[in-house]
Amino acid sequence: MTNQGNNKDIRIGFYICHCGTNIASTVDVQKVVEFASKLPKVVVSRDYKYMCSDPGQELIQKDIKELGLNRIVVAACSPFLHEKTFRNASSQAGLNQFYFQMVNTREQNSWVHLDPYASTEKAIDLVRAAIYRVVYHKPLEQKRVPIHPDVLVVGGGIAGIHAALTLANAGKKVYLVEREPSIGGHMAMFDKTFPTLDCAACILTPKMTAVKNHPNITLWTYSEVIGVDGYVGNFKVKVRRKPRYINEDLCIGCLDCIEACVYKEGRFYDEFNLGLSKRKPVYIPFPQAVPLLVVIDPETCIQFKSGKCKQTCVEVCEPNAIDFTQKERIEEIEVGTIIIATGFQTFDPKKIPYYGYGTYPNVYTALEVERLINASGPTQGQIVLRDGTRPKSIAIIHCVGSRDKNTNQWCSRVCCLYSIKLAHLLKERTEAEIYNFYIDIRTPGKMMDEFFIRMKEEGIKFIRGRVADIYPDTSNGCCGKLVVKAEDTLVGEIIKVPVDMVVLSIGLEPRADAQEIRRMFNITCSTEGFYIERHPKLAPVNTFTDGIFLAGCCQGPKDIPDTVAQAGAAAAEALTLIDTGYIEIEPNTAFVLEDDCSGCKSCIPLCPYTAISFLEDKKKAFINEVLCKGCGTCVAACPSGSIVQNLFEDEEIFSEIVGVLNYTYHEEEV
Amino acid sequence: MIADLEEIKGVTLETIYETSEGKLILTCIQCGTCVGTCPHGEYMKYPPRRIIEMLLHGLADKVSDTDSMLKCVNCYACMAKCPRGIHLTEVLLQLIKEQTILKLPTLPAELQKALENSYRYGNPMGESGRKRANWVATSKYPVRILSQNPGPVDVLWFVESYPAYYPRGQDTCRAIAKIFNRLEIDFAILGNEERSAGECGLLAWETGLAEALIDYNISILGKYTFNKIVTSDPHALDAFNYRYRMYGFKKPVYHIIPFLMPYYDKLKSMLTRPLNYSVTYHDSCCLGRHNGFFDEPRALLNAIPGIKLVEMFHHRINSICCGGGGGGMWLDTYFKSQNMERLSDIRIREAIATGADILAVGCPYEIPRFEDALKVAGYENKMVVKDIVELLSESMED
Repeated sequence: MTNQGNNKDIRIGFYICHCGTNIASTVDVQKVVEFASKLPKVVVSRDYKYMCSDPGQELIQKDIKELGLNRIVVAACSPFLHEKTFRNASSQAGLNQFYFQMVNTREQNSWVHLDPYASTEKAIDLVRAAIYRVVYHKPLEQKRVPIHPDVLVVGGGIAGIHAALTLANAGKKVYLVEREPSIGGHMAMFDKTFPTLDCAACILTPKMTAVKNHPNITLWTYSEVIGVDGYVGNFKVKVRRKPRYINEDLCIGCLDCIEACVYKEGRFYDEFNLGLSKRKPVYIPFPQAVPLLVVIDPETCIQFKSGKCKQTCVEVCEPNAIDFTQKERIEEIEVGTIIIATGFQTFDPKKIPYYGYGTYPNVYTALEVERLINASGPTQGQIVLRDGTRPKSIAIIHCVGSRDKNTNQWCSRVCCLYSIKLAHLLKERTEAEIYNFYIDIRTPGKMMDEFFIRMKEEGIKFIRGRVADIYPDTSNGCCGKLVVKAEDTLVGEIIKVPVDMVVLSIGLEPRADAQEIRRMFNITCSTEGFYIERHPKLAPVNTFTDGIFLAGCCQGPKDIPDTVAQAGAAAAEALTLIDTGYIEIEPNTAFVLEDDCSGCKSCIPLCPYTAISFLEDKKKAFINEVLCKGCGTCVAACPSGSIVQNLFEDEEIFSEIVGVLNYTYHEEEV
Repeated sequence: MIADLEEIKGVTLETIYETSEGKLILTCIQCGTCVGTCPHGEYMKYPPRRIIEMLLHGLADKVSDTDSMLKCVNCYACMAKCPRGIHLTEVLLQLIKEQTILKLPTLPAELQKALENSYRYGNPMGESGRKRANWVATSKYPVRILSQNPGPVDVLWFVESYPAYYPRGQDTCRAIAKIFNRLEIDFAILGNEERSAGECGLLAWETGLAEALIDYNISILGKYTFNKIVTSDPHALDAFNYRYRMYGFKKPVYHIIPFLMPYYDKLKSMLTRPLNYSVTYHDSCCLGRHNGFFDEPRALLNAIPGIKLVEMFHHRINSICCGGGGGGMWLDTYFKSQNMERLSDIRIREAIATGADILAVGCPYEIPRFEDALKVAGYENKMVVKDIVELLSESMED
């Protein structure tokens, strides 16, 4: 390495990027170049249209070699995007990469300001700060951290299932954690899938079974992640395994206990059928549940409520699997990467009271209708209303709780197509007159619009108008029908359609506990609560936290094909990390200046990573570099100022502050 | 719910795009919810959705050439349900109404008379301004009149025209006087000095008249020292809260129903006479949809012993207008000439269908409108219309 001497012969090269017009149309780059050229120790100051391009990088490398530069400052976009690029360029020219400093003058400047003068002044202040700072930079080496090869997949819907299988098939060990008693998620509740109309269970259950049987997958259902520590490559995760009151190793899934329960009929809200049927206190969620293990609900089981049940279930259980004393267990696992596939919840249509859900029994949600249509559903696939009659006319209302400032503003992306699908299935089963009330029909994707046109050919009616009101038909001689009132906007008439059944095509929204999950995994979410991908186009399954990836509707509403594609992508990203085997991390660790340390030990209890120990022989504190995460707590707390943190040394920070607050140039200009 | 008053003051159809409301109008997705929910939508050549599209295409003039907006009863239904949050009733529809009225060769006679009366006598029915406080003599409980006794007061009760003159309205006045006295509230009225607040919906028809009434009332109110205004007329509430604010009026203004809520416990302890009625409550447009007071009226009704509350199909945000707002109070004859069914007649059928003994209301327009509708329906002996304050007073033993 050349020319990396002490402060006396510091030679700084400064470069500002136009980023096409992204920066140059707001920031006067010539003015910044001219300003930087006058700062002390700056040997060369240049601008270039695209600094990140090969010629841009070569410009830096040429200057390092020819002008003997030993510090580089580039003002361009976010370090998030190109810090690595310029560090590499510097290091290839023989400079330690930590002699480089980046100034963000795009995301934090040109993109967020309109006034070119003020924006240029801000660029100048930020550049001055970086140039003052870089003088004190030291040569450092990056640390490599090994990646634990095991993966945690959170959520056992189609996204989690597909990601887990992909990883497991690649030979990686996967923990699949699912909150409900069975995997399958929302897809398991659907009857058929658009646009091909293949049966959801027929395509999903083979994958569910594959999960169960895969030697590389540890499946924990009825379980929740309750704590996440650590960082990429080395996460420590706590999982709460709720008691089923069934010994999983003994239960053979014969379901005799359900038959034998003292309740002869189901009496309680059946979660899987959304309350359209009743279950017993001992139950399985649905016939194809994976794992096929019964669950005892302590809220409704007589044994738990009074302790005085005849325990007919226990009598009949040959393997003796029922265990009323079972307690929840906390499992602790170590994984290197995590895939979050926690899915969505459906919009609660009670929030739009004028659609009458919960008031009028013949108003259903689309998900309820999926269950009604399904052969394993509450009516064995018979489309009958709550009073047992078959509907002769049905209104399907699109966009319920979507595209609406009063509820959720986003398009649910799937409700057009699933409404069209339900229209087909309902017509097929009931020969009813079907009216779809829509705002816009959105059918992007392969074979989707063709599907829509085919359904039009079947004679399903499409009325362009958002439903404004639903109320009971009280006209003479009528009888339990509901009037659906809307403007048919294409005809320009207000229409009142009496129907037997109303289906509300409810939108998709983030789960109610999305924020808590986000905090636990230290990832970000948008204001509406969907998790944010690292880049909307180029890093769609990454999060801002290294080693944590997203799949499925927890990132935003999407259909099954897109969910599966995303799950595969998330698995591939995890595999990339695992097979690389290590990750390079910033050398931003703290160290103790032994001469100054008084041995007061005040730093030791403060360290969140227990990285500090006390050297009894020297009576000094010692920081384990491997454990230190560079949080800076000990640096701030040390009474004698004897703890220093790489990349954040006092003189670096103070000179940066002096740089950013130095208005001399500004005053001269004005 | 409420458009930015500062921004929309003085806005015209030409300048609307410079406001945030104009930006909202640009986001209309033409879903037709406004038309579907409009109680008179089927009688309008240009209902709200089409008005927006006409405006965006520079054709707003064609809309104001028709009587479409004469049929808007300011019920806020379109605005309450609009998925884009466009403040139709508050801004755009008012501007179109103003243009419509300017272009009409003659105003419908009833409305013309109401406007003239409001200008000349300070009330739309054309009663003498000197008789405005006459009802006070019939109150068993004392009512202080500020012109006679001008000292500082906590609550200035703005009585408004219908309660002050109309005999059934005076019943509500006596009820309020009783409630205020029993709750030991320090209150007073303007008496004969008061003039119609210039009902919010009516204002837009006639900006000149509106400003005359606003200037007058603000100057009279300026003479006295008080902390807040309380009124039993939701239209006056809106006039004060949304129009008077544009002219610099700053005092807090409450409708009597939400105003009573902080006194709930004390009030409930005084409601000792059981009223064994089945009651259905009609959400007034201004109080409910516009100002969001849905729970308060029901809480007060439920505080009365013996009352059983039943709901109509359309209630709360989905309530159906009585047809009296936006000048509708004085357009019944005109609407009839257009073969339009009266909204109060439609509404009363839903009320009757509940089987309730009493239709409870919270707006002075509703008593005459629904009493008349009951007669039309041949139901006047089976159901009674009462303001909530009347029921509270009735349950309060003397």
